[in-house]
Amino acid sequence: MSTFLQLVLRSLETGSIYALAALGIIIIYRTSNITHFAQGAMGMFNTFVVTYLFTSAKMPLWMAILGGVTTALISGFLVDFIIIRHTKKVAPISKQIITLGLIMIFVGVAPFLFGVDPLNLPAILPNGAVSIGGASISYNGIFNISFGLVLMGILFYILQKTKWGLAIRTTASNEATARLMGVPTKTVTMVAWAIAGALGVLAGVMTAPFTSVNLNLMDGVQLNALIACVLGGFQTFYGPVLGAYIIGIVKNLLVYYVSSVWGEQLLYVGILIFIVFRPYGLIGKKIIKKV
Amino acid sequence: MKNKFNVKKNQNLSYLIFGAVLCTLPLWIELGVLKNSYLTLIGSVLIYSVAAIGLNLLLGWSGLISLGTAGFMGLGAYIAAYVTVNLKLPFEVSLLLGLAIPLVIGVLVGLISLRIEGLYLAIATLSVSEILRKSFEELGWFTNGFSGKSAVYPKLLGFITLDKYTTYILLVFFLIAVMILVNNLINGQMGRALNAMRGSEAAAQAMGVNLLKYRLVAFALATSLAALSGVLYMSFIKYTYPATWTLGMSLNILAVIIIGGVRNLYGTVLGAFVVFAMPDLFLKQIPYFGTMPGFAYIVNGILIILVILFYPRGLIYIGNDFKKLWGKLKARVAR
Repeated sequence: MSTFLQLVLRSLETGSIYALAALGIIIIYRTSNITHFAQGAMGMFNTFVVTYLFTSAKMPLWMAILGGVTTALISGFLVDFIIIRHTKKVAPISKQIITLGLIMIFVGVAPFLFGVDPLNLPAILPNGAVSIGGASISYNGIFNISFGLVLMGILFYILQKTKWGLAIRTTASNEATARLMGVPTKTVTMVAWAIAGALGVLAGVMTAPFTSVNLNLMDGVQLNALIACVLGGFQTFYGPVLGAYIIGIVKNLLVYYVSSVWGEQLLYVGILIFIVFRPYGLIGKKIIKKV
Repeated sequence: MKNKFNVKKNQNLSYLIFGAVLCTLPLWIELGVLKNSYLTLIGSVLIYSVAAIGLNLLLGWSGLISLGTAGFMGLGAYIAAYVTVNLKLPFEVSLLLGLAIPLVIGVLVGLISLRIEGLYLAIATLSVSEILRKSFEELGWFTNGFSGKSAVYPKLLGFITLDKYTTYILLVFFLIAVMILVNNLINGQMGRALNAMRGSEAAAQAMGVNLLKYRLVAFALATSLAALSGVLYMSFIKYTYPATWTLGMSLNILAVIIIGGVRNLYGTVLGAFVVFAMPDLFLKQIPYFGTMPGFAYIVNGILIILVILFYPRGLIYIGNDFKKLWGKLKARVAR
């Protein structure tokens, strides 16, 4: 039982990383109608910024993270301002491919600025652990889980209860109508890109202590976040978050109880079979197309 | 009948001539006009072109987006290596198996694609590719795991052992064969059906296009071309390890199509040249930036975005546009 609890707690931690990244992807998808394949690459780049501020500029970790969040906000803002804003007339498939181009740019710029050697970033709370029902979890793990939940709580509160959230939701449901109603859709999209950037770097900072800060830091996170979006459905904001936690938990359980080698592949096969039966995800509704 | 030998009218003839021109490359290297390393470079351009033509069939003509190219290329490469090195079977058998097994998986993905659309399909194919890549890492008996697997130059019909130059000629042969095959397919009934499907599925269905059939055919062709490219990769480069076949490779192949020209075969080859050969040929010569790590990646990324924003038809049409511009200028001067 305690192993099971331990696994679930550990999975909640990875689940919150996936959830933050997935939330960034879904916010972009709903406001700009673009699948944000570069979420991971941008997160990776800004995690490099955090690491650079921490190791080379000798800042305290919290200040380095704030610095990283700032550059993430700026890079998200710039991506929208320079590129995405001008893609109104571009075909839908080409729009997705623009973010693929963005991956190449961020992955190419990172080694130029920060060198090719992998760096290390410590956890926010480096040591200490508590035991819950026989399962031990580090302070940092608890911090990551609760920080993820609180942050998502704040974001969902903003989305559902404030005027800004309303603007984002209107833009998401129909951009042209929103613009006619006086919603500043351009600003909304820009803010969405900035928020997605910040969520990306937070996911990156949480991932970094498990491995080293390198160019492939966020590859797994990006993939799982995308699959979480598919699992939860692209129609709601909370679907992908739910999907992310499910993927985190199911993956660890499969890896531990079924096969350490084939667990992850089994999960992907399972999700493929799942979309065959529910093509619009857990929460999603079928979109009826007019001919 | 006069048109038969007119290169502009007869596409197949133009592909053959293109192939003949490509075949002269070893000659130039022997004469010392071009550097020896260019053979590997142009050879890999041809290999990636084959995979890109497959993806073009899917993305360009059928409008189905796939991010799984790399997985199928890797599968083809590993099957080729396993069949020729471990089982000691001839190259022809490895070619057949290397095409058949990915084809079956491709048809399965095609079946899934009937249920899901757009980005769901993209991510579904991405996870297929990821499953394949993870399997390459784990199946040590088949792929030799992380340390990578090597192969030898192919031996045709059991007695003609190829070397570097003749393997290159083999690559040219396969590329031209694929170009002629795909050109004939898309100019026939299938091409029209795919075009109709891309425009509107409902309309295509109403006109009597069998969606199931053509989607499956498109997926089967795309995956087997990707696998063919993997088999060729193995016989020319002769070494592979799992980290080659990641999402990055699929993205590069996608970039090839977007940069070169969607729905254009020569455009695909041009795109492959820009993406895979230009970094080594030109960018490394540029002072300061040339030695920068990741510079080629940045240039390709910027190129993709610029082409999508300002030149959505692809670089292959740049000649036509210049011609038009030239004509306009001439007209203006004449006036």
